[in-house]
Amino acid sequence: MEAKKVHRALQLVASLSIDKASQVFSKMIKVGAKIELEKVYVADISRATEELMVTDDFDVIGAFVDLVGDMPFKFLFYVAADDSLALTDLILHREPGVTKKFDLYVSSTVQELGNVLASAVTNVFASDFQIQMKPTPPQVVHDFASTVFGEYIMEAAADQNEILMIESMFKVVRMDIKCRMFLLPKGDTQKTLSGIIGAA
Amino acid sequence: MDAVNEITIGMADLKVGKAPQVLSTILGSCIGLCLYSPRHQTGGLLHLMMPFAGESVHQLNYKKAKYADTGVAELIHVLKKTCGVATPEIVAKMFGGAKVLKNVERNIGGENAEVVRSLLKEHGIVLKAVKVGGENGYRIKFHLDTGKVTCQIFGGQPEEF
Amino acid sequence: MAKRIMTVDDASIIRLMIKDILVECGGYDVIAECSSGREAVDKYKELRPDLVTMDIVMPEMDGIQALEEILKFDPDAKVVMVTAIDQRESLMKAIRLGATDYIVKPFEADRVMAAVQKAFGVA
Repeated sequence: MEAKKVHRALQLVASLSIDKASQVFSKMIKVGAKIELEKVYVADISRATEELMVTDDFDVIGAFVDLVGDMPFKFLFYVAADDSLALTDLILHREPGVTKKFDLYVSSTVQELGNVLASAVTNVFASDFQIQMKPTPPQVVHDFASTVFGEYIMEAAADQNEILMIESMFKVVRMDIKCRMFLLPKGDTQKTLSGIIGAA
Repeated sequence: MDAVNEITIGMADLKVGKAPQVLSTILGSCIGLCLYSPRHQTGGLLHLMMPFAGESVHQLNYKKAKYADTGVAELIHVLKKTCGVATPEIVAKMFGGAKVLKNVERNIGGENAEVVRSLLKEHGIVLKAVKVGGENGYRIKFHLDTGKVTCQIFGGQPEEF
Repeated sequence: MAKRIMTVDDASIIRLMIKDILVECGGYDVIAECSSGREAVDKYKELRPDLVTMDIVMPEMDGIQALEEILKFDPDAKVVMVTAIDQRESLMKAIRLGATDYIVKPFEADRVMAAVQKAFGVA
């Protein structure tokens, strides 16, 4: 019963946060972004990472953000390294293809997207649930997608074999750019959330 | 490489196989331990996350492969049980243990590598190749027909061990 | 004479975006770019720019602390805060401390120009 309540609460939070993040993402890149995936699920750490090694067998630029405050979460945004070049062009209003190699601006684009998206999430928590949280400065990592994801879940996976995740995928309209965003509740977050939503 | 022959191993997991299969995984701070019996052309890959199981052994759904101490013993056991490999026939190769996130203080990768070294020593298993540390991820492919491991550190070229 | 601007943000892409907007508009020179609050305070003391755009969430020293330090050194400093959408509390603190105005990320060029021109008393 309790698990069901937490799941329902997380679904609500996920839906609102992802909607908001998608709006902010579209505004940032000045092109529409479509939410292709939005799910809340319990994942076995071995199966989830094994699957990702197959589906996302490429390198990515990822932004890690800790959302600290009343209900801590870990946030991750990543995009395939090749696509991050196109995202940089979009943000800087350049013609697609101008940015040709991975440089400081590309890394900074992902850093800023991570920052703005994480802030969009904390904004939903504050405005809709009166839960105060702050994002830490993003840490940007360029590596294999599975390495980035593995490090992201490491802390939670150290204590649990099954982790509760919020996952979404945005697709940039008319361009084949897909970005993934993950939210992972930390510590007592699930309990706190269920209390707040349950009481509402 | 024929994709049907490739078996992927996720975090906190282990799998064994026979030639011509290839066992593959991608690592960050985790360790990929490859144990191989040349005579049987059989091997196993352990993708471990942490040095010691400690109290976790009492947990429900406890994963032996998550920890070095329980994982190494389990891989040796599975190789023996399923493929008839005796411990003295086994050789080992170890990869991974990077420190990918700069803001994480604990160097768990380094600790993992040290514990695996001493466990192999205890079991009398020869460590034939080691590539650990650094700040980038590892992609490894363990070829069971030869026992060779192709290791690519992110940003570099694949190397054979 | 062109107004001398200093941009402060740990993301170089934001510094570049603000610079592009100001250069496009004309009449502004970006004389320095800083990636942390600490660097911003030191550079402000050295260069005394006419206006600073200041991010809030940054490593080493955040934008609020940097604003405080800059205003302690120069109570007439013009500092426009640049913030992501959720940081209402920090923003209010910045305004109370004496920030001139604020821009919310993601921003439009018009909004950046409006904040900068308002700081210089241009209608």
